[in-house]
Amino acid sequence: MSVLARSVGNAFRNKVRTAAVVAVLAVAIGLALAMLVANQAVTGKVAELNASVGTVLTVNPAGGQGFEGGGEPLTSAQAATAAAVPNVSSVVGTKALRLRNAAEIAAEAAAGQTGRTGQGGPGGQSATSVTTSLTAAVDAGTLGNRNQATSGTAGSTSGTTGSTTAAAPAFSLPITATGIDAEMDSTGKALQLTQGTGLGNYTAASTGALLGTTLATKNGLSVGSTFTIQDQTFTVQGLFDSGTAFGNNALYVTLPTAQTLAALPDELSTMIVTVNSMENVDAAKTALQAALGADKADVTQGQRNLETAVSSLDSVKNISFIAFVAALGTAGLIILLIMVMLVRERRREIGVLKAIGAPNRTIGLQFVLEALVLVALGSVVGAAVASLASGGIASALISSSSTTSAATAQRGGPGGFPGGPGGPLGGASQLLTSVTASASPGVIAAGIAAVFGVAIIGALVPALLTARIRPIEVLRGE
Amino acid sequence: MIEVKNLVRTFKSGDRTIKPVNDVSFELEQGALASIVGKSGSGKSTLLSLLGALDKPTSGDVVVNGVSLATMPDGKLTNYRRRDIGFVFQQFNLIPNLSAVDNVMLPMEFAGVRKGVRAERARQLLEQVQLDPYKHVRRINRLSGGEQQRVAIARALANEPKLILADEPTGNLDEQTGEHIIELLSTLSRDHNTTILVVTHDRALANKTDRRFRLQQGRLTEEPVRTRATAAVTG
Ligand SMILES: Nc1ncnc2c1ncn2[C@@H]1O[C@H](COP(=O)(O)OP(=O)(O)O)[C@@H](O)[C@H]1O
Ligand SMILES: [Mg+2]
Repeated sequence: MSVLARSVGNAFRNKVRTAAVVAVLAVAIGLALAMLVANQAVTGKVAELNASVGTVLTVNPAGGQGFEGGGEPLTSAQAATAAAVPNVSSVVGTKALRLRNAAEIAAEAAAGQTGRTGQGGPGGQSATSVTTSLTAAVDAGTLGNRNQATSGTAGSTSGTTGSTTAAAPAFSLPITATGIDAEMDSTGKALQLTQGTGLGNYTAASTGALLGTTLATKNGLSVGSTFTIQDQTFTVQGLFDSGTAFGNNALYVTLPTAQTLAALPDELSTMIVTVNSMENVDAAKTALQAALGADKADVTQGQRNLETAVSSLDSVKNISFIAFVAALGTAGLIILLIMVMLVRERRREIGVLKAIGAPNRTIGLQFVLEALVLVALGSVVGAAVASLASGGIASALISSSSTTSAATAQRGGPGGFPGGPGGPLGGASQLLTSVTASASPGVIAAGIAAVFGVAIIGALVPALLTARIRPIEVLRGE
Repeated sequence: MIEVKNLVRTFKSGDRTIKPVNDVSFELEQGALASIVGKSGSGKSTLLSLLGALDKPTSGDVVVNGVSLATMPDGKLTNYRRRDIGFVFQQFNLIPNLSAVDNVMLPMEFAGVRKGVRAERARQLLEQVQLDPYKHVRRINRLSGGEQQRVAIARALANEPKLILADEPTGNLDEQTGEHIIELLSTLSRDHNTTILVVTHDRALANKTDRRFRLQQGRLTEEPVRTRATAAVTG
């Protein structure tokens, strides 16, 4: 018989009561663990959102938004100005090119749309048209055809009458080539490379290019293949997957390369400005707008809807954390009360142990261990409960709060943000429901460690009470 | 050698104070076998608890081999109870959910005796008090009063104490087993030089002790007894 064996034995002395205590503890511990799992899942998601899209501002040339077109192009000097704004952690310049192959240009010419300059293209982004050997991977669809037709009209007023009678041919969408000076897509998200490597130094001219997966497939290209833009040969150095068909009908080259291809050195189509934290986004936006000048640049927060998403997730995070702490405290309190009760009940027995020479610490240890046996049983049952319930709890917590943010996302509507290829617009609700609360062993282990910590504290008080029981208690009732 | 000096223990019950131990003094040489007799409520258990350091006297002192209990800190008193004292309680006070062997091993565990050694010694002690071997591993609450009494005596002997304090050790035993326990105690005092002080109503037991004390309303007086030597001669 050791202290531990005695403690285990004592924990099962009254089996019915032990079962009841374990059941109550299991509920508290299970709830604590479920809340911790939910909290971790949401915290992870918030961090992910904040890290990627939540803190991104997009700078376009003034008047470049919507369908107006015009304004002065952005320059590298403005990028430097933007980088100097407080709380701005990075500025990525991009230069967009619209790539068309010879066949499409011929088709356009036949349709009498040769007057296009490319400026004021769909979505108003200042893109420059250049030729390529590539064929687009997606068809234009209704919207695309309409865009092609109207922008053609806008681009060449003289051709308007000529083209109205002609049946509109099915265009394929131009391929978006974007020069970037960091490994990011045009919405500020890190590029997800599925094959190959990045372009290395994005601030130097290079003949390397990163292709969207569908574009590469359409053109039978893989890493190491070559193609041409403006008769210049480029090598595919990597493939990326943006997650959308339109997003994958694109390619990236380094910023100086794009500027050279466009013959517009120093000129930027957009700047992707990342702010250091969610809280500073509004302040940074104002400061950035002031620094660049309202007549020169438009600063927009492309992911406004996500801010609501993040703040509702934040409240879920807080609620789940408070619930975790409360459930943990409850578990501790249950242990405290049970052990106080046991100490009172076994007063006389504690007196016996003291009368036959048991040191106080041995008795205290025996009671703490007994409490831990109960907590261990409660944790096993509680963890099982938590792993079954945490998914449900997390999605219940989130769906109740995402109803509001989904509505907000809808309001973002089809009025549109510039250029974003099928962007994460309206994706907030998807992002929210994609918070999967999986009970990772690490989180469960950390939660159980916390439970044991609280249990030891809860058991320590009654264990210390045993030290105050005098050996003469043994004669009580004699 | 145990010296009891002007020992007083008072209790307050309501606005009355009672003195179950009232200025008690005596000496017991090492190896003595002594008994205390007296009516119920005369303070016998209270006196034993003071000698066994279960309780602290209101005044006076108990000096064991030159060491005063009155000035001893609590930690040392724990050691004293564990090493020097074997207590047999009137109501046995065994741990009900442990087996007989586990109960006897308990004081040895507290004294840091190795597991194998204490299991073997516990078995021997239970044999000495004539507990059937198949009952050694039985839980205490499934043993009879007499059997529990014997386990309690075996437990008191576990750490080979210098002083055994026994409160009515034969009270629940049949005559034959009682005789055996008396034999065991007197053998211990004679052969192992263990001092033994028993509280008893049992005349047979009281008559077999070297010295006999009577406690009356908290006051202790010694009564003459036939010594073991004279008992053997006249016997
Ligand atoms: N803790 C206590 N509080 C109050 N009175 C006590 C206490 N312990 C014992 N007494 C009283 O002291 C007297 C002596 O008790 P006790 O020593 O048990 O007598 P005995 O063992 O001789 O029967 C009794 O009257 C008892 O009620
Ligand atoms: Mg008594």
